[in-house]
Amino acid sequence: MKMVDIDSVSKLYNGGKALDNISLEIYEGERIVILGPSGCGKTTILRLIAGFIAADTGSISIAGEMVSRNGRIIKPPEQRNLGMVFQDLALWPHLSVKGNIEFGLKARGLPKIERERRVRETLHLAGMAGYADRKPAELSGGQQQRVALARALVLEPRVLLMDEPLSSLDLELNVRLRKEILRLQEKLGFTLLYVTHDRDEAFGMATRVVIMSKGRVEYEGTVDDAQKYFNR
Amino acid sequence: MERRVFLTCIVILLLAIGMLPVLSMLIKSVIVDGHFSLASYGGLLTSAHQWTLMRHSMVLSSLVTALTVAVGMLLGILLGKTDLPFRRFFTVLFVIPLLIPPYIIAVSWFDLLGREGLLVHLLGVSATRETARFLFGLPGCVTVLFSIFLPIPMLLTMIFLRTINPGLEEAGRLVSGWRGVMKGITIPLILPGVLLSAMLVFLLSFGEFSVPNFLRYDVFPVESFTQFSAFYNFKAATAAAVPLAAVTLILLFAEAAFLRERTYQLRPSPGIKRLPLIGLGAHRKWLFVPVAITGLVIVIVPIVVLVIQSAGIDAYAEALNRAGASLLRSLIYAVIGATLLTFLGFFTGYLIHTKALRCWRSVDSLTIFLFALPSTVIGIGLISLWNTTWTNFIYSTPMIIILGYLAKYTALTSRISVTQLAQIPSSMEEAAQVAGAGWFRRMGFILVPLARRGLLAGWLVGYIFLLRDTGITMLVYPAGHETMPVRILTLMANGSPQLIAALCMVMITATLLPAGILWMTPGIMTKKAIK
Repeated sequence: MKMVDIDSVSKLYNGGKALDNISLEIYEGERIVILGPSGCGKTTILRLIAGFIAADTGSISIAGEMVSRNGRIIKPPEQRNLGMVFQDLALWPHLSVKGNIEFGLKARGLPKIERERRVRETLHLAGMAGYADRKPAELSGGQQQRVALARALVLEPRVLLMDEPLSSLDLELNVRLRKEILRLQEKLGFTLLYVTHDRDEAFGMATRVVIMSKGRVEYEGTVDDAQKYFNR
Repeated sequence: MERRVFLTCIVILLLAIGMLPVLSMLIKSVIVDGHFSLASYGGLLTSAHQWTLMRHSMVLSSLVTALTVAVGMLLGILLGKTDLPFRRFFTVLFVIPLLIPPYIIAVSWFDLLGREGLLVHLLGVSATRETARFLFGLPGCVTVLFSIFLPIPMLLTMIFLRTINPGLEEAGRLVSGWRGVMKGITIPLILPGVLLSAMLVFLLSFGEFSVPNFLRYDVFPVESFTQFSAFYNFKAATAAAVPLAAVTLILLFAEAAFLRERTYQLRPSPGIKRLPLIGLGAHRKWLFVPVAITGLVIVIVPIVVLVIQSAGIDAYAEALNRAGASLLRSLIYAVIGATLLTFLGFFTGYLIHTKALRCWRSVDSLTIFLFALPSTVIGIGLISLWNTTWTNFIYSTPMIIILGYLAKYTALTSRISVTQLAQIPSSMEEAAQVAGAGWFRRMGFILVPLARRGLLAGWLVGYIFLLRDTGITMLVYPAGHETMPVRILTLMANGSPQLIAALCMVMITATLLPAGILWMTPGIMTKKAIK
């Protein structure tokens, strides 16, 4: 099943083209990694899919349903059932770990017992059981990553968007968390759209790689082919 | 080394200008005939009049704070966070009353609602008798002070909204509508700023002298001023000023304990560029109407009333004839004062920002304490310190006015400098240091040029606040050196309403014109932050 369909999307920023006629199809359960240098438009794609901004032209569909078209947002972000892990994690500093994870469940009106259960399960899944009452500032970088991941996963999203979430971590922690993400993706089966500028990270995470440059898709294919693309 | 020495001198200067007068006032008030005595304070707890003053001051400040913060926060969110039409225009419009001397707004409302006000032509004498009754007393004071201080919570809400990392709200938007995000994320994050604005409004209302004085509502600053200027009873004036200082201190301690760190964390970050706006959709026009009506009633109507009341060249000719010299003095003192304030504030801000001396936090608290301290307290303190044979060269010249300005308003320029310096990467100064530049060279060639926008903004804010100052100047001005706001206040006793309205209009123009010119000059206030 086609989970995300980006069709001929362009986006202008300050007179320049951030995205130039991009088309991309993402299928259920896939792990797509968008790879490219800073400013190539990869984060813009995530923000378009999330619904924070609208493309100037083109359309985006999620699970067969059109969510934005030609500059108009048809479905706002909260109705798209997506999870997102931000580059700076964006953990709410005034809320505890539990508060961060529970926020979306409360917004959806889930009863307290159900919320407690899902928070407990997700914390366990993310290896953060026992940290529920801590504030984000009281956690290490790796623990904050896990909380951000748990917050994104607790709502069982159809697609998980990840915007260079591991870029600020040292190599060892980066590799360990990559494995964690892969484990969770395999277990929960969500579709993953991951953005990075790091080739190793991309090749280690992806089932399919999209290489971008200057707002355009330069290459799209398997990990093996992407490696060949760079070695040619 | 040179940095430490220079900044230590700045701290000593601040203490001498700001703290010595207050201490001198307190010491003199407890010494009677060379001996320690609390006689001046005897009546403070026992006198029913003092308790009435306290009740009046508290009720007035609380009502103004509650009303101002409720409406100001809402306006701040609407103007800073949504796509409401004309929001920039409204922002400038609502700020105007804060920029002009407070009593001018009161005069304007008097010209409209007073027994012989403009409304009498529309509604008749019996109606204006009621409106005058409303105006004189608590309701009138609350209304006028509300319109004056409304921009404080509004602007602080807007500023604090800009400090929120957009990612925090976007993370919420994935799972909730804007209403849920505002309730669960945005408002809790800006709450320290809102509480700070509530404290500021409370303290400014608590220390406000000119409006309650004009609208005849007895509060501590009026009592303190009356005791001093009418009866020249220094000890009674000090006794009436002490509760003002005490309440200020208590609230500032509370601020330091509960809010300071939180508000520091929310200092604007140079990395934040995009601000997600709430699309109001079909509600745009419905929300536009109440905002426009509020602006019309509390800003445009008072100014239009003054324009109507002062109509005709004769009134303006007489105004310039009778107060031209005062206007010139006001402008000169404001320019000199603002320039010195910018200098003092910049280095105080630098000290606070870099934490270069261990006492940086105390210095910050001192400037805020002096800003929050009612003008009458500072005025009486200045007289108490400088009114001696040895220091007559200060007391009997405009220097005492300038010293009062520096004591009261350094917090404004230092806070603006702190914010501006926070936008400049520390590597800028470090690179110059590595290149071998000494501290003064780094200041002169690197930091000052990079912070020029903040310096200019600080100068402008200083100029506006000095030009509108009444409380300090009214108490300390030497004979023949009265400023325009003081001249207007004294002319109110026997001047015609047309003359007073014309003077107020001249005052408004003198205040807003330079601000408008600077604001609209391309490249001066509009350049982007340093990246």
